Amino acid sequence: MRIVITGMGAVSSLGYDVDSFIKGIQTGQSGFSTIQQIPEIELLKVKIAAEVPDYDETAHFEKKQLALYDRFTQFQLLSARQAIKDAGLDFKGELAERSSVIMGTGIGGQTTQEQNYKRLFAEGAKRLPPLTVPKLIPNAAASHVTMEFGIKGPSFSIASACASSAHSLAQSCMMLRSGIIDVAVTGGSEACITYGTVKGWEALRVTSKTTCRPFSKDRSGMILGEGSGTIILETLQHAQARGAKIYAEVLGFGMSSDAGNIVQPSMDGAARAMKAALKDAQLAIDDVQYINAHGTGTPQNDPTETAAIREVFGAHADQLAVSSTKSMHGHALGAAAALETIAIVSALQDQIAPPTMNYNEVDPECDLDYVVNKARPMEINIALNNSFAFGGLNAVTVFKRF
Amino acid sequence: MKLSGHYLDKNMSEAEKDLQETILDILRKYIGEEFNAEQVTPTANLEALGIDSMDVVEIIFDLEETFDIDVPDPGDMDDVEVKFDTAQDLVNLVDALIKQKN
Repeated sequence: MRIVITGMGAVSSLGYDVDSFIKGIQTGQSGFSTIQQIPEIELLKVKIAAEVPDYDETAHFEKKQLALYDRFTQFQLLSARQAIKDAGLDFKGELAERSSVIMGTGIGGQTTQEQNYKRLFAEGAKRLPPLTVPKLIPNAAASHVTMEFGIKGPSFSIASACASSAHSLAQSCMMLRSGIIDVAVTGGSEACITYGTVKGWEALRVTSKTTCRPFSKDRSGMILGEGSGTIILETLQHAQARGAKIYAEVLGFGMSSDAGNIVQPSMDGAARAMKAALKDAQLAIDDVQYINAHGTGTPQNDPTETAAIREVFGAHADQLAVSSTKSMHGHALGAAAALETIAIVSALQDQIAPPTMNYNEVDPECDLDYVVNKARPMEINIALNNSFAFGGLNAVTVFKRF
Repeated sequence: MKLSGHYLDKNMSEAEKDLQETILDILRKYIGEEFNAEQVTPTANLEALGIDSMDVVEIIFDLEETFDIDVPDPGDMDDVEVKFDTAQDLVNLVDALIKQKN
């Protein structure tokens, strides 16, 4: 069964829609700036993040909705509204029951969680707002998308840290292939640029204090991002029957677990996921032209991912364009793969490989063609998206120009 | 003692009027869009004003925060009638809980 992308929505540090996201990554724009949303910023060592710029929640939601929507739910609803409108779908009648909402998030309602812990433990509050629990649950984002659009099929959320929305996409494809749905609303959302979370990242010593330089020898870590991406998937038959515009085809996916270390990436696990994806898509290694890398810019990820790509692609690895758009939109964790899917769609549609920005210096351990510092017009027919999560959970998705 | 709480406007003290008005103002935040503030009277049924059970939970939170009281669940207390059907129920309840606290 063929599966196609018929709608997209994005909220990211590069802006509030798909166009600004694509323009941003194609022109090498930086979404990094001094953190705005943490009042305790003076107590942080890491003061840079990829925040959704100048976000005013009251511009998008009613007061009553805001009592119920954590920031991550708000972002998910904003990108879902765009994607569903873009796809021209109206979930009425049988379609409502034959559509799903599968959304990834690494953490869920972290802002709500932290605000309320602060009230309770630090400020001595005697009680919490009654909507605390429904606001912070990780499935809140997926649930509110079902409610806003009347989508009544199988829906849930998926948590696999940095690969959450890649696993969501894969899960949605499986449900489409199984025949239980015709349309999948999928993607992910993250909003965890909070004092507590950034402190946690600081302690882990994987976040950069300056910028994100994937694959560059002087790389100093990832830049935490936030935002949301929504992708509408449909069976080709369903899309064509309703005359939908088609952005790209999803050829397949591969998933693997490192069964190794909770944070150290594994060359073997990453390679197995890529091999599984190529096998699922029934492709030969030399069919692939572009890889949107996991490319976090940490000392550990980048050489491991490079070695995994070499392991899978052999000599063809030198023919591949490999870039990390996280150098622009940051690492939006549970939203990362959804946003990167949009990056790939733009690569396939515009025939432009987005760049790896902030690249300074060759690292002998990272010796692929990383499309450094400038987008490259090139022929791209097949592209992969790599997502390798903390916890050793990997998901790779494969897309084809339509 | 069961508090029956039959407040009559002419017999109300200033403090009681303040309490009632504060509570009515809280309720006005939760009424359905099709209702206006004037319809929120002491005897009006909350459900008929579009206030659902989840709203009631939020209203209870607001009452607790505003008056620094702990609102029990229905049946938790012998001497205070805990019900949330009308604005007056809430006024009586809050009044009783404030008196109990003091």
